[in-house]
Amino acid sequence: MAEEESQSEEFEQIDFLRDRHVRFFQRTLQVLPERYASLETTRLTIIFFALSGLDVLDALDVIDRNTMIEWIYSLQVLPTEDQANLSRCGFRGSSHIGIPYSTKGPGVLHPYDSGHVAMTYTGLCSLLILGDDLSRVNKQACMAGLRALQLEDGSFYAVPEGSENDIRFIYCAASICYILDDWSGMDIQKAIEYIRGSLSYDSGFGQGAGRESHGGWTYCAIASLCLMGRLEEALSQRELDGIRRWCIMRQQSGFHGRPNKPVDTCYSFWVGATLELLDVFQYTNFDKNRSFILSTQDRLVGGFAKWPDSHPDPLHAYLGLCGLSLIGEPGLRKVHPALNITQRAFQHAEQLQLTWRDNGGSCSRRH
Amino acid sequence: MHGRVKVKSTAQQEEEKRKEREKKLKIYVAARDACFSKRKEGVWDDGALQITQQLLSSNPDFGTLWNYRREILMHLETVKDEDEVQKIYEAELSFLESCLKVNPKSYGSWHHRGWVSTRLPRPDWARELGLCDRCLNLDDRNFHCWDYRRMVVKKSGVPVDRELAFTDRLIGSNFSNYSSWHYRSTLLPLLHPESPEPLPSPRRPPPRSSPPASPQNHSHRVCEAQLLKEYELVQNAFFTDPNDQSAWFYYRWLLGRAEREEMISCVLVSREEETVTVAFSRPVDPGGLMLLLDGQPQTVEWRSVHPRFKHSPVWICDLPPGTISDVTNEHNLTVHWMERHAHRDCALYTGRTESWCRDSATDQELFRSELSVEKTSVLQSELQSCKQLQELEPLNKWCLLTIILLMRALDPLGYEKETLAHFQTLREVDLMRSAYYSDLCSKFMIENTVLKMEYAEVRVFSISDKKLTTLCHLDQLLLVTHMNLSSNQLQRLPPQFSMLQCLEVLEAENNSIEDLEGVFHLPRLEEVLLKNNKISTLADLRPLASCPKLKRLDLRGNPVSGLEEVEAALTELLPSVVDLLL
Repeated sequence: MAEEESQSEEFEQIDFLRDRHVRFFQRTLQVLPERYASLETTRLTIIFFALSGLDVLDALDVIDRNTMIEWIYSLQVLPTEDQANLSRCGFRGSSHIGIPYSTKGPGVLHPYDSGHVAMTYTGLCSLLILGDDLSRVNKQACMAGLRALQLEDGSFYAVPEGSENDIRFIYCAASICYILDDWSGMDIQKAIEYIRGSLSYDSGFGQGAGRESHGGWTYCAIASLCLMGRLEEALSQRELDGIRRWCIMRQQSGFHGRPNKPVDTCYSFWVGATLELLDVFQYTNFDKNRSFILSTQDRLVGGFAKWPDSHPDPLHAYLGLCGLSLIGEPGLRKVHPALNITQRAFQHAEQLQLTWRDNGGSCSRRH
Repeated sequence: MHGRVKVKSTAQQEEEKRKEREKKLKIYVAARDACFSKRKEGVWDDGALQITQQLLSSNPDFGTLWNYRREILMHLETVKDEDEVQKIYEAELSFLESCLKVNPKSYGSWHHRGWVSTRLPRPDWARELGLCDRCLNLDDRNFHCWDYRRMVVKKSGVPVDRELAFTDRLIGSNFSNYSSWHYRSTLLPLLHPESPEPLPSPRRPPPRSSPPASPQNHSHRVCEAQLLKEYELVQNAFFTDPNDQSAWFYYRWLLGRAEREEMISCVLVSREEETVTVAFSRPVDPGGLMLLLDGQPQTVEWRSVHPRFKHSPVWICDLPPGTISDVTNEHNLTVHWMERHAHRDCALYTGRTESWCRDSATDQELFRSELSVEKTSVLQSELQSCKQLQELEPLNKWCLLTIILLMRALDPLGYEKETLAHFQTLREVDLMRSAYYSDLCSKFMIENTVLKMEYAEVRVFSISDKKLTTLCHLDQLLLVTHMNLSSNQLQRLPPQFSMLQCLEVLEAENNSIEDLEGVFHLPRLEEVLLKNNKISTLADLRPLASCPKLKRLDLRGNPVSGLEEVEAALTELLPSVVDLLL
């Protein structure tokens, strides 16, 4: 009798609670608790997690798309009348600098306002998810802003004022170029050199040369090369096999990001998607992966945390869903492993690109 | 968003916390607004430093504020004397230390500290190293700290051997320190380089677009004496804790060797088909290929073996009709690979209908895993050590994997039986990855079959009843005429299969094949035996229609053979087939 009870308890424990997650993301889009204040400057990325999460859950109907679209466009750093700020264009993370709300140009000159490469990436993704046609995105300005961020060694800053530079921002830049179907925003060859230089002795990728291998940076490297269409050119078969091996060894139950670290929900996506892009995800153990992700599910407020018995947050909630989507959890939309949006949103992007090319593709320059 | 464990609290505690947070928020917003108006007005004074300090203490990831602070500090440099500047920056370092105590993983804080270190008139690198030590004591995997330490070492010129000794201490106190092993991998080649490499041969200056060496390639640049010491260190580590990955990954890297040169691996000329087929060591773009026939450049179009491959390792071109068809003529062909300044010659003799030029996989040591070959005695002794460990720890997957690797490096054919046995154990011991190991095992079996085939000097590739789950190295099978894959677990013949341009007979009974995509435009294919597979629709058989010489097809024991009117449909689809078994 006791055994039966505990068995059904176990079944409850690993049950996927879709509705809770929908509400979790809805709340994320309304008000965030005080401890998120430090993330204000990157608010757009949190919006992206919520929107894409709702998309994966096929629950976008719970939000007001138009309001959301307008708000995202208000974050676009547009060129001023004299275009003096072109190299600072893109999307900002939120209104924290204090630029007056506006969804139209021309841009307002403010000495310390500029786009942030990760915000431009998540901003464009969010617009795609919401079904927008990107017609109000100033593509030329975005490209100019992107070019201003790339260094001699091929890596990117996040902002034109300067910041740390590494492989994360190469990924953001590659995604932006891919979405806008315009690779004039970056020197691909240099970026590939930086990526190759980041390959470590154990066949994982670090943030840059000489740095420790990590599941997140490995994702950035492989996904970037896939988006550029250069995976097999940039890496030999032996290197690719080594990378597959390093990644496949990251599974313990769920996945961890580095050897001898605890497993963490988000790596079910970062490493899982990398394995998918390398054609070997089917060799992982889906049951153990699923069990771990669901053990971090918050049964009360929804969302997922990085570890069991921890507070959920939008990033892990979103990536937990993506991890489940990769293993084919029923009821979840499929995620495009390189671009990190649903296949549905990806197809929307493809449609847009066809339209742009038919119309002469004014800024389209395919490599 | 770092993991925060749940803690219960009373309603009163919650209310108090809420009030405190509101107060903090008000102060934060006021300070932020004051700060931005100051920056806008171009104010760079101590007051501005105060406000930014206040804000950054609670939010060190507010990048714009760090930038503002840097502007203020740079301005102060111009109006204060050196001693004052030194004091200001030292205060900055103290401030940063308090920030890092609160959040040791803030990109903003570490980046700023790096910047400050470069501005200090009299930097105290020992202090910086001390900070790193303390930080790593708390969390030896904090990569921000490791990256910062590397910068300090570089800027201050700490000798590499001191840093190597540092990793000695860390590893000595705790073998399970992946970051230390990683750091060691970057230091070792600097400290103990192998003798300088031979100069690049004159016919091969470094090409413009060659991928730069990654640290991966540097392992062979450590001299032997040091390598042997490293083997000992690593063995101590994995004998102490065989379940820790750190030492095993490092070990594998130590044993590794450079990637082989990229080259043209095979050129095949056929009089009957009037084609030249070229196989490369990696997928390439045909743009840089030039063909010379008897010294004359030919204008040809290179086509990939399958429409799916834009970058293929195998390319074919059609020669103008009649150019080489007369069997009484001898011809000399040369393929130039411009990008790599490489070329390959192939002579087509009178009386011969075809000719080829190929490096054998045996000579090229193509499959010698990735391990260093010169040091056979070393590899032998390493294998002995690992076998010893395996007796003590029979369920340890790292040990098994390493033994397999070493065996393949020493003698892939000689150790075949033992390798298969170890794979079986590995699949049981690391159940989670058993499908991956099956795949790896298939790959090694295929490699062994290629080696056996070359040894016997035949063009027959036979690998049946070996639990094969996947096909690979198909680019090595360009010359194969007969292939036997029967009684395995294959599900598909992928597009890469179309590289088997000389294939005449394919035996693949008793598999689970449902996909024949790769049986495409194989000009010499006559017999395809697919009894007891999973071909289920007519569409699955469509690729076969592109093989003009197909005469015999065995489809017994497939779902498709039970379909209505299948015989008539197949006669229409495959008119050349005269012997059809359903």
